[in-house]
Amino acid sequence: MASTPAVPIEEQLKQLNAARKLALENSAYYDRIVKGVLPVIGPTSSIELKRWGAEFLAESLATPVLSMRDKESLTLSVLDTLKSLLESEQDDAIVLKASIAAAASAYPVVLRWIIHNSYHTEAWEQISAIKSRILRIWDGAPAPVRLSCIKFAQRVVLAQTTSNGQEVKYGGLDISLSMVPANHPLLDPRLMEAEATGLLDRMLGVLQDNSNDALLVDATLNCLSILIRTRPSTSNRIINCVLNFNPLKLANSPMTPKNKVLMKSMEKTTRMLMINILKRHVDPNNQHSGRVQQYVERLMRSRAEIFDEAGRKRQLADQAAAQYGDLKRQKMQDASAAAPEPAAPAQPAVIPPLAPGPQTLAAVFTLTNNPGLQAFDATSIPANLVAKIVARTLNTLDQSVLDFAVNGIRSRLHTLQAAAVTAAAQYAAHGAAGLPGAINPATAPLGVEEDDDDYEPNLDAAEDTEQILNKLDNAPPETALDEYADPNAALGLGPFTLAPPPLIDADVASKLSSAAASRLFGPLSSLSSEGPSKKPKAGINRLAASSYDRDSWLTVATRLATRSTFGLEEEEQEEQTSAVKSEEGAVSYPLASTFNQSIREMLFTYILEDWRPRIEVAVAWLSEEWYNDQLTKRTGLRNAPLHYETWALRLLDGFMTFITAQDKVLTRFLAEIPELSGELLGRLKTLCGDPNTLGLAMTSLLYLVMMRPPARELALDTVGGIWVEYEEARPLAAKYLSKWRPGWVEQQMHLQAAKAVAGGGGNGAAGIAA
Amino acid sequence: MDTANGNATTASAAPAALAQPNGHREDPGGFKLKFCTVCASNQNRSMEGHLRLALANYPVISFGTGSLVRLPGPTITQPNVYKFNETSYDSIYRELEAKDPRLYRANGLLNMLGRNRNIKWGPERWQDWQVGMPRVKKETDKGFEGMEGGVADIVITCEERCWDAVIDDLLNRGSPLNRAVHVINIDIKDNHEEASVGGKAMVDLADSLNQVAKEEREKVGAAAFDSGSGAARASFDERVPEVIGEWQERWPNLPATWTLAWF
Repeated sequence: MASTPAVPIEEQLKQLNAARKLALENSAYYDRIVKGVLPVIGPTSSIELKRWGAEFLAESLATPVLSMRDKESLTLSVLDTLKSLLESEQDDAIVLKASIAAAASAYPVVLRWIIHNSYHTEAWEQISAIKSRILRIWDGAPAPVRLSCIKFAQRVVLAQTTSNGQEVKYGGLDISLSMVPANHPLLDPRLMEAEATGLLDRMLGVLQDNSNDALLVDATLNCLSILIRTRPSTSNRIINCVLNFNPLKLANSPMTPKNKVLMKSMEKTTRMLMINILKRHVDPNNQHSGRVQQYVERLMRSRAEIFDEAGRKRQLADQAAAQYGDLKRQKMQDASAAAPEPAAPAQPAVIPPLAPGPQTLAAVFTLTNNPGLQAFDATSIPANLVAKIVARTLNTLDQSVLDFAVNGIRSRLHTLQAAAVTAAAQYAAHGAAGLPGAINPATAPLGVEEDDDDYEPNLDAAEDTEQILNKLDNAPPETALDEYADPNAALGLGPFTLAPPPLIDADVASKLSSAAASRLFGPLSSLSSEGPSKKPKAGINRLAASSYDRDSWLTVATRLATRSTFGLEEEEQEEQTSAVKSEEGAVSYPLASTFNQSIREMLFTYILEDWRPRIEVAVAWLSEEWYNDQLTKRTGLRNAPLHYETWALRLLDGFMTFITAQDKVLTRFLAEIPELSGELLGRLKTLCGDPNTLGLAMTSLLYLVMMRPPARELALDTVGGIWVEYEEARPLAAKYLSKWRPGWVEQQMHLQAAKAVAGGGGNGAAGIAA
Repeated sequence: MDTANGNATTASAAPAALAQPNGHREDPGGFKLKFCTVCASNQNRSMEGHLRLALANYPVISFGTGSLVRLPGPTITQPNVYKFNETSYDSIYRELEAKDPRLYRANGLLNMLGRNRNIKWGPERWQDWQVGMPRVKKETDKGFEGMEGGVADIVITCEERCWDAVIDDLLNRGSPLNRAVHVINIDIKDNHEEASVGGKAMVDLADSLNQVAKEEREKVGAAAFDSGSGAARASFDERVPEVIGEWQERWPNLPATWTLAWF
């Protein structure tokens, strides 16, 4: 049968494969190689060569690397061989399948060629012969051949119906009836469309018959999408046909493994096609979309019914498999003896000692001997029901019975603890090797197994969770496991201590503190501030932070700043000084006060950001600082830092740079802060250098003199200082001083005159002498 | 579950050569189906399958259907994300190793990436795969031999949504190649242990399918049509659902779905 008997077939195949590889590597060789192998794979060749040849042709005609022009010349050159392969080979499914696949790829290409080159009747005759040959063998052919026939028919339908232009322009998918001119000498569009309709009907026949042959059904369904999408004249027909198809018909036949696969396959394939249509092809106004939607939903329901039934039955079977017979009846029989119930207080229940060896926690707490009750899975009862039962039982339970049961459990735990101690001793003696109950990290059940129900493949995160959880899988055995290696030891319920927190060095602590502090100020911007008019006057009864508004929050912030580390700072400071002694250069805030300092800094910034309206906050804060300082003084803590003066000065300095003549708030600030000092008032002097703000400074001082008697002397001293230092301020200062310190100005004048005399004494004396 | 599947393996109907402990086995030669494994990120499950099938001497390629390659990060909300087709396994390996070697060793990522970079260059995306484009420049890939044509006979996905993505993509492509492909989903959970079990199951399935395909090839001429009856006469394509049904009995915990689609 082989055409070249001199060379063994295996050798020939090897050469052919090498040629194929050459074509794959460089598409320029395709034309030459395909034409070169045509004689080798002819109808008289051996079956192996024909198979290879048919598959190579199918591959070559479908390859995406060639342009349409290259493909045209390639296709035209192989038509003859293709035709003879199809006609000579009656039997071999592989040759037929591949040849028909090649013909499916060739058909649109040839059609396109004929459209543009109507003189080439030979090519049209060849492809027509191929087509009629394929359509003839379709019905009686073995399954793989029929698959290819379905696909071939689909390509013919695609090429011979009118396109809506929405298909991608590759692989010949865009070749359609729209390209055929009405007056083409060889092609009659009406006949071609009629043929396409007939072929489509033939294709859909497998669905209309509601075939059980999943292979053909799937093959048909999976090539319909592009027709529905790009060939409007076919879509109605196809969708109606698919909607009438019931992929779950097999459910009535015995559920063999194969039938299950077939049914699932047809159902899923139908559903995928419908979902694809809903997603991509059918516009929402289309008459079909509602029906398609319903169909998909109905399919999913039916599928769930058919396949879940098995699941439900298995659950029942699991219960039966517990092998404790009829649970209900057993419970009735042994209820009184088993559980310490109030009905049987007379005969004291016996609490059986635990069997030696490792115990589960459930076993430790199980008091009944009834195997049925032991097997009962309490977790199957809903939690709220459990709560009700427990409450009622405890309510009616005899105290002595309860005590008895509790003591029984207690003694069991004692026994276990004792056993654990000995076991631990043994463990220490023998080392880790060969310990029976040790947990093996490699086979330990993963968390993944437990939350089966939570597995949600549609969430990307779920996948990550599982991968993270899965680290257990490859993690090296952690040392911590050793402590729990013996389950008895774990049950020993020894004293539990939390592991100490990791040590934080000053650097990290200060970073964390400032982060925490900035969090504190986060909500301020979003909190509503109640307008001054709306503010309820709670008077002295008000609570500092009773409502969730900005004022309350600021109160919280100021108190955190001032009081949170009360009494700690001193110790810290001592530690710090000693630390500084030991290692020089360690300059930082003491640990405990870092947080406060951060808050203070942030409060300071907050106030200065918009200091005029926030002057109230400043006063409130300074009041808190002052109060805290007083408390610090009173408790007699030495070395404890005082903050009031520092921050009052910083705030005042902060305002000073921005102050204008209209800022009466300065007067208010000075009047309201709890304590004044010479230094503080001294800052006002800088205002006196500027004639604009001079008045403000003097008014503020006057206000203090008038309205704040304890600070009167201090304020007057300041005014006096101003009188001395600033010439321009003298008239105003003199006015106040003459009222509140009569005679002071004159005294100063005298002093100055005297000074001047003393200073210029030499000159004066000289003048007099002269 | 392990025992159930383990017993099943020994009872495997496929009389293929028994896998040696490391997965390597002698190449029996002869006809081989071409496989393609698909998971979400082309990292864990599809690559486990890729490696196992390659070690069993099958031509194999692998893809991911996700939009991006996602690997777990330090927390659940900070996954490590990479682009398909542009990032190599080696570069991901080096990046993660530099980030936190302890974490990524402990959760098995480095181990996995180390394996992957010995299989092929980097994760590839299914949707970007040009079916039928010759893959001749990939000689160093495991399972390259036989894959030059750039098509597969069997696509095995590892998760239902990957199967859905593959089918949806094939429907959208419009099947220009006219080549039938069996697309089989095996539900494998995305962790290292399950991936390993799934990999074994894939090889079992591949062996069973290949056996059937081989039988079809060995029947020549008229004998194929007339001799025998029923199953013996049936073609490879027809017997695929049957093979999957039998396989499903052996691996009851890896639910499978199958369809015949077109490239």
